[in-house]
Amino acid sequence: MPPFPATPIAKLTGHTGPVHAVAYSSSPHSYILTGAADRTIRLYNPSKAPPSSVAPTSSAAYAPGLVTKYNAHGYEVLSIDVNAANDRFVSTGGDKTVFLWDVQTAQTVRRFTGHAGRVNRGVFGGEGDSVIVSASFDGTVRIWDVRSTSYKPIMTFSDAKDSVTDVLVFEGEIVSASVDGRVRSYDLRTGYCEVDVIGYPVTSLTLSKKGTEVLVSSLDSTVRLMDRGNGQLLKAYRDEAFVNTDLRVRSTLGLNDSVVLSGSDDGMVFAWDLLGGTALHKFRHSEMREVRGKAEKKEKGRKDIVSAVAFCPSRREWASAGGDGNVVVWGTDS
Amino acid sequence: MSYKRPRATSPSGAQKRPRGAGATPSTITLGTELPPDEDGDDGTFVPVWKQTVTDERGRRRLHGAFTGGFSAGYFNTVGSKEGWTPKTFVSSRANRNKDTTQRAEDFMDDEDKAAAAESRELETAQSFATIGRVGDSQNDALFGLFVTEEETMGVKIAQKMGWRRDQGVGRKVRRSARSDDTAGATAHAFAPKDSRMISAAREEVNRKGLGYQSEARLGVTEEKEPEDRPMLALPWLEGPSKTKASEKAAPKKSSFGVGVLNDTGSDDEDPYELGPKIKFNKSLGKDKKPKKPSKFAKAGVERIVFKPKKTPGEASARPQLSYDGKPPLSGFVLATQIIDLTSKKRYPPPKIPPGWRSSKSTTKPADAKSHQSVSDAAKSSTLDAKARASLLGETLLPGKSVFDFIPKEVRDRLATMTGKVHLPQGRGEGAPEGYQDPNSTKPKDLWTFVPILDKGTAAAALAKGATGWMPYAEDANKRARYVGFLEIRAGLKTELPERAEKTSVSDWAKELQEFAHAAEVFKPTSGLMASRFTSSTSTSLPGSGTATPNENLLRQPATKPQDPAEQAAKLGMYGPMTRSTFPFHPSRLLCKRFNIKAPPDMPPADADADGASFGGRTEEAVSKSAMDKMVHEVLSKGAPALQRPAWMGATPEETLEAPSTPAVPLEGAHATVDVEKNDALTQERAPEDVFKAIFGDDDDDDE
Repeated sequence: MPPFPATPIAKLTGHTGPVHAVAYSSSPHSYILTGAADRTIRLYNPSKAPPSSVAPTSSAAYAPGLVTKYNAHGYEVLSIDVNAANDRFVSTGGDKTVFLWDVQTAQTVRRFTGHAGRVNRGVFGGEGDSVIVSASFDGTVRIWDVRSTSYKPIMTFSDAKDSVTDVLVFEGEIVSASVDGRVRSYDLRTGYCEVDVIGYPVTSLTLSKKGTEVLVSSLDSTVRLMDRGNGQLLKAYRDEAFVNTDLRVRSTLGLNDSVVLSGSDDGMVFAWDLLGGTALHKFRHSEMREVRGKAEKKEKGRKDIVSAVAFCPSRREWASAGGDGNVVVWGTDS
Repeated sequence: MSYKRPRATSPSGAQKRPRGAGATPSTITLGTELPPDEDGDDGTFVPVWKQTVTDERGRRRLHGAFTGGFSAGYFNTVGSKEGWTPKTFVSSRANRNKDTTQRAEDFMDDEDKAAAAESRELETAQSFATIGRVGDSQNDALFGLFVTEEETMGVKIAQKMGWRRDQGVGRKVRRSARSDDTAGATAHAFAPKDSRMISAAREEVNRKGLGYQSEARLGVTEEKEPEDRPMLALPWLEGPSKTKASEKAAPKKSSFGVGVLNDTGSDDEDPYELGPKIKFNKSLGKDKKPKKPSKFAKAGVERIVFKPKKTPGEASARPQLSYDGKPPLSGFVLATQIIDLTSKKRYPPPKIPPGWRSSKSTTKPADAKSHQSVSDAAKSSTLDAKARASLLGETLLPGKSVFDFIPKEVRDRLATMTGKVHLPQGRGEGAPEGYQDPNSTKPKDLWTFVPILDKGTAAAALAKGATGWMPYAEDANKRARYVGFLEIRAGLKTELPERAEKTSVSDWAKELQEFAHAAEVFKPTSGLMASRFTSSTSTSLPGSGTATPNENLLRQPATKPQDPAEQAAKLGMYGPMTRSTFPFHPSRLLCKRFNIKAPPDMPPADADADGASFGGRTEEAVSKSAMDKMVHEVLSKGAPALQRPAWMGATPEETLEAPSTPAVPLEGAHATVDVEKNDALTQERAPEDVFKAIFGDDDDDDE
């Protein structure tokens, strides 16, 4: 078994606020888009940002590896999703608006307004990424039509009793996660919605490649792998050092769905074996190193959070975005 | 009833009114004939237009409208043939409102105008002088100012004779002018000094008989009003009343108080006087405070005071006269100042020489030191209860604290709640010998097997059994044991629950455990209202002497009834219990965008228009009651078994997230539910024909 990518290979600097969203670009997966609380979205080329890179002192200067900045958000950026053609991406944030961007011109193509609260997540969906599904603090999931010029959503799911934190689209299904502790799978083919009660506020959803399992992060410091077929629990991933009780922390599957990766409230990144459920690796994001053995208790700083992790779908590489404004790309030194 | 009398349509001969004297010469008429009554009905012919309808009191009925139409206008008229005529509109365009100044008369009515006219009449000023009399100013100091002194004829004559005001009458007096620089001034003739007129009391003219004693006979000492008092007299302006003291003593003592009618006539006593007798200052000018009678001397008033020492120099300096104009008695000297006794010189007390000791003192200083309150003494004592008991020779109580008796969990809970970590360990011991509940002493070990059940729950389960369904219907003996167990826990019985033959103690305990769960499960469903009230739980459970006082030590607030799915999720029982399904209707456009076929039972069209969600009925895979049952089963078997008896020991380490064991339905429960499979969901959808047969008619009707 090849080793787990545990060496920092790039450091993306420049954000002046906590980074809330990190996303790899599609198909060649060579770029990384980051969205942060400083209201900017940045497009990085991680290959040009060595791990030793430091943030430029002046905000006008470009940090190493920075390709473009996208400025339109008036509030923090909470999620980014790139379409399959790599020419558009969607970003959402605190301004209750879903932004559809053109990558080349760095301008917004469309802005979908209608949510009553901050939009926690926006993803592409449908045939040829023809819709955008957004999940909002107002408890609704709205589906926006990219093709038409209608300003109204195609559909709204307002079944959630609390803020909807994450949403994903898989073929004909829309899966949403809510703070009311439920994961709702809207199957457009059958017209039935299956509600799975997790019991704790759910903050992150990741689907396996087959689409039959879903990885669920909830605020009881547990990441669960749920069987979507019958709603049963396949595996729960915990660690005594793993803390996730307050913040929206993303988790993800990686390495061909063999590891579970999750950020945490206290600046650690945890990697579990998907089948065994044992914690394989622990990383401290701010120090850019792996923590072996018993993780020493550190004084938790306000910014010492790993709020988002993203696994590169093609390479053995992943990125972690922290509260210090830096994104660390981890890989194998070859 | 008609009050209209039938009348002849035309006057007959008999009804012809005899008018005039010449009609019937044979009759004699006296007096003047009354004028014919208009409204009166004397049966004579009246033409129709003159006839009126009256009610029984003679009031006219059927006014205009009933007599053939509305005729307010012309005949009984309001002014014109048309009735009310609108006032013709007068344009003010050319005729602008003139800027007239308003006068007071514009706002006056007749009364005001009359008053104004009256006020314009001239009057003499004489009437003003009627309030006083000329020359009476000596007893009318105030009103002398106001009264316009009319020149009487005598005054006029006197003035003509050379008299001036404020001069005396008489011959002129020769004397020198009374000014300061009179030295060597020549004498002039001055008018004599004006002397006051001696006012003689006016003769009272009484027309009474000899020996008549008017009111004096009644024995009331009434102060006679001074007769020569001015008409508008202000009594307080008079001099100090000399009769005040005697007047105070006067009031009659025979009556129940002095009323208005037996007014003594004095103005000083106001019979209506109420409240605190504040004396208002009613005089003008500087207010004079009444002198306070001093005990020793009256300040400000010169008086003769005995002065033992003579001051000859001073006495000889100026002859002193007493206030009556005479020199003081020989041997006395007028005091020049009042001896102020209050400001007498005070001397300090004598100094006690140091080291002096009174021989009279009896108290010892040591005693005062040793005085101490009981509480202080108790505080200073180092003895504790045990030491005192041993001192007093009492039999020692078992030297144990509360923590020796409470179980470990309760102690931990206490520690977490109070935040004190150094609490002693809870040992969970039983009560010492001699202090045990007599009921529970004998079969103590067996009582530990009887699971705890809330008294309310037990009673409710019993009540449900009495009214309706009860578990273990197929096994009468078991049912009896169940009832017995409930009765014990409801406090109706105190002996041990009976044990079936040929069963071991552990089986018996297991069965009791099952009973407890069954009672929990099968207690009546609590409604919305029931969930808002908690039944009072009694802490004294019989037979719970040893290991069980834990649950009631710290009462937790009653939690809301949880969603069973939520409960199951918390227990880690993910699966059918945490899953529910509800239908929704994706919009057609959405399906188109996803390039999928829309679900078959979509409502036709126009669902795309609104993006609203279709919240449907919730279809649960497992019925709620079955879910409850399973939850309780897991509670009893699995993780945090709260009601586990002590002998079972610690709960086995089970991970919460372990895939749920296939739920075993309760023994003897009525319906067994296969939780893995739900027929309602898995069964085939009914063919379209069925729906057509049921709902098809509607479409036909509509079209």
